[in-house]
Amino acid sequence: MKRRDLIRAGVLGGAVVALRPSVAAAQNAAQSSELTPAQSGVDASKDLAAPGWKPLFLDEHQNETLIVLSDLIIPATDTPGAKEALVNRYIDLVLAAETRETQSAFLNSLGYLDGESIRRYKTAFRYLAREDQDDLLHSFAYSKNPSRWTGESSGPDVGHSHFDALKRRIMTAYYSSQIGEKELGWDGAFAHGPYLGCEHPEGNHK
Amino acid sequence: MSGNLMGQDPLLQTYDAVVVGSGATGGWAAKQLAEAGLKVALLEAGRAVTPKEFTEHMPAYKLKYRDHSPEILRTRPVQKQCYACMEYNYEWFVNDLENPYSTPTGKPFTWQRLRILGGRSLVWGRQSYRMSDSDFKAASRDGYGDDWPIAYADMAPYYDIVEKYVGISGAAEGNEMLPDGQFLPPMKMSCGEIQLRDRVKATFGRTVTIGRVAIITENHNGRLACHYCGPCERGCMTFSYFSSPFTTVKDAVASGNCTVITNAVVSHVNMDDGSNKARGVTYVDRLTRQVKEVRAKSVILCAQAMESTRILLNSSTREYPNGLANSSGALGRYLMDHVTGGGASGRLPDFKALPNANEPARPNGIYVPRFRNTPSSPKHSRFIRGYGYQGGSSAQFNFNAEGYGTTLKHAVREGVYGVSLGAFGESLARWDNYVAIDPNLKDAWGIPALHINMTHGDNEAALMEDAGASAAEMLEAAGAKDIHVQANVETPGMAIHELGTARMGNDPKKSVLNSFNQTHDVKNVFVMDGASFVSSACQNPTLSMMAITVRGCANLIDRFRKNEV
Repeated sequence: MKRRDLIRAGVLGGAVVALRPSVAAAQNAAQSSELTPAQSGVDASKDLAAPGWKPLFLDEHQNETLIVLSDLIIPATDTPGAKEALVNRYIDLVLAAETRETQSAFLNSLGYLDGESIRRYKTAFRYLAREDQDDLLHSFAYSKNPSRWTGESSGPDVGHSHFDALKRRIMTAYYSSQIGEKELGWDGAFAHGPYLGCEHPEGNHK
Repeated sequence: MSGNLMGQDPLLQTYDAVVVGSGATGGWAAKQLAEAGLKVALLEAGRAVTPKEFTEHMPAYKLKYRDHSPEILRTRPVQKQCYACMEYNYEWFVNDLENPYSTPTGKPFTWQRLRILGGRSLVWGRQSYRMSDSDFKAASRDGYGDDWPIAYADMAPYYDIVEKYVGISGAAEGNEMLPDGQFLPPMKMSCGEIQLRDRVKATFGRTVTIGRVAIITENHNGRLACHYCGPCERGCMTFSYFSSPFTTVKDAVASGNCTVITNAVVSHVNMDDGSNKARGVTYVDRLTRQVKEVRAKSVILCAQAMESTRILLNSSTREYPNGLANSSGALGRYLMDHVTGGGASGRLPDFKALPNANEPARPNGIYVPRFRNTPSSPKHSRFIRGYGYQGGSSAQFNFNAEGYGTTLKHAVREGVYGVSLGAFGESLARWDNYVAIDPNLKDAWGIPALHINMTHGDNEAALMEDAGASAAEMLEAAGAKDIHVQANVETPGMAIHELGTARMGNDPKKSVLNSFNQTHDVKNVFVMDGASFVSSACQNPTLSMMAITVRGCANLIDRFRKNEV
């Protein structure tokens, strides 16, 4: 019997002895409306891949821009990237439920990207050549450190702030997806115990 | 409603005791009294809970918003401030729209709570530390406030009882501020934690130990050892962490002497006319809003510190116009919650271990017992009392990596070996930190709600300032780089260690309860939860709360046997 089977067997046994029938009956009567979808066993992991998906919040241009951007932030390598993980669809879902303030802040950041693209290249970000997209992103990707000579900051780094806000949403969407979990190496098992801690010889903890 | 005692209508009986609240303390009260042969009604404001709704093994990608749901904030803007209120389990937490409270302008308080069988024991942090004799006699040592009417020696036998039953894993250290207890084998430390422990001991003489935690590391009392899946706050299919529904409440029901009544939102204690004795409590059915009464020879409030006090404040009579058992005027006063916000974090560059998504998830950290203002250390010039730290060190994925593209993807997986310490400091008992009834505010059941007035003071701020600096110097001694220091004072309530408001004491003019949690004024009314604390110490309080309950119950059982109730 595998460890997981052992745990399940224990759970079933435990549940039987845990509660007398009178209490168990009342617990069965717990209103399902007072359970979260997760507690009710709802699996929403396939929802975003449904055929005929349409954005709830983003318009077509914003959605396409987000797909292009997410593919640059987390590209496919030897593992799938953000585009395959449908991060645009997840971000759209979350934004649709967000406050107007948060929605506005996101659109402002996406709009900033397009604005800078049009200012520098006379066209919106999604239409740029890959090389130009890369150049533009690179100019925003690293925070401007204070001057090495004077120690003074050149002022608020607006471009980096917008880049960072978009990047964080994309990273959250990617690493919380099933593809993202696999990217981190997770094998899908819910437990890997027991925790063994440091097993190095005394004083050699590297 | 459930757990019908011997098939009778639970509302037509007169119980020996009605226990209000089914969390850590209420569960113990029900177990102790019922197993002693007393007839007990255990009232819980929320619904029952079943292991079928546990979600600790569900990955986030199966959730609609992958545990980033903005929708929770609509009904639980306060509760969402709790780390344990998640898309998985938010229904366990109260709906803030139905459970209001008020605070003065500029004095926020965050009140994080559950209404469900087991209460916060379903999601608690499980850290379990004894208070020391120095804590019980703190006022005698530094002149501030009042001593407890009990000493460590009075509590030690009850700590033993609770620890043996609950199952506390931990290591004995012989530390003067953190008495050792009845421990199951300790969880293991990581490499970084061992280095921190050894260098802090060598440099400062301070103790770093593995957290003492109410999670069993070997099979215990019919429960299975922890399998290290990680998120205890979503439930535990093996009942490896301590929560009352599957331990104490289960035992109480199994005795045949306990009737569990769920969805019972208690509004007030009822008094027998002219006798100065309580005859039970009134509750509003959470679902139907029907008003019902439970009769009992004794009333045991274990509803959570401020909820128990709220019930007494809402139970005013002609004899007690300012709240039942409040002849002292101390009811509602001396509200405490450990101060947090001081600490430090950094990275240990010498450690090359990569983060591993398949590493067993240890649901526990390390602990640094208080080292300021102890019997063997000099008196600090800027503050009294002290703080302890919780923390940890491990390889973590680097979600803060700079850049983008392939470089970013690699950097995330390369990770960083982090180390951190965060302080919990003593919250001084102050008269002007209080709860009172807000005359203009009622909850969804028509029960007058609380006005909470609490701030942390200069001493708490000085504690957190010192905690930030001391954490940084300890991390530096451990070899940490890029150390980030925090010396903030978090909003009161953030520690979720609310204490006081019905404190115990020997003087009925200055306290609400005697040393056995019996109200001075009404001899068959008891408050057996955190409300009874005289001072907060800096240790996580639930273990002490449970031990105080068991001690109070032992005394009450004795009184029943002597026919004094």
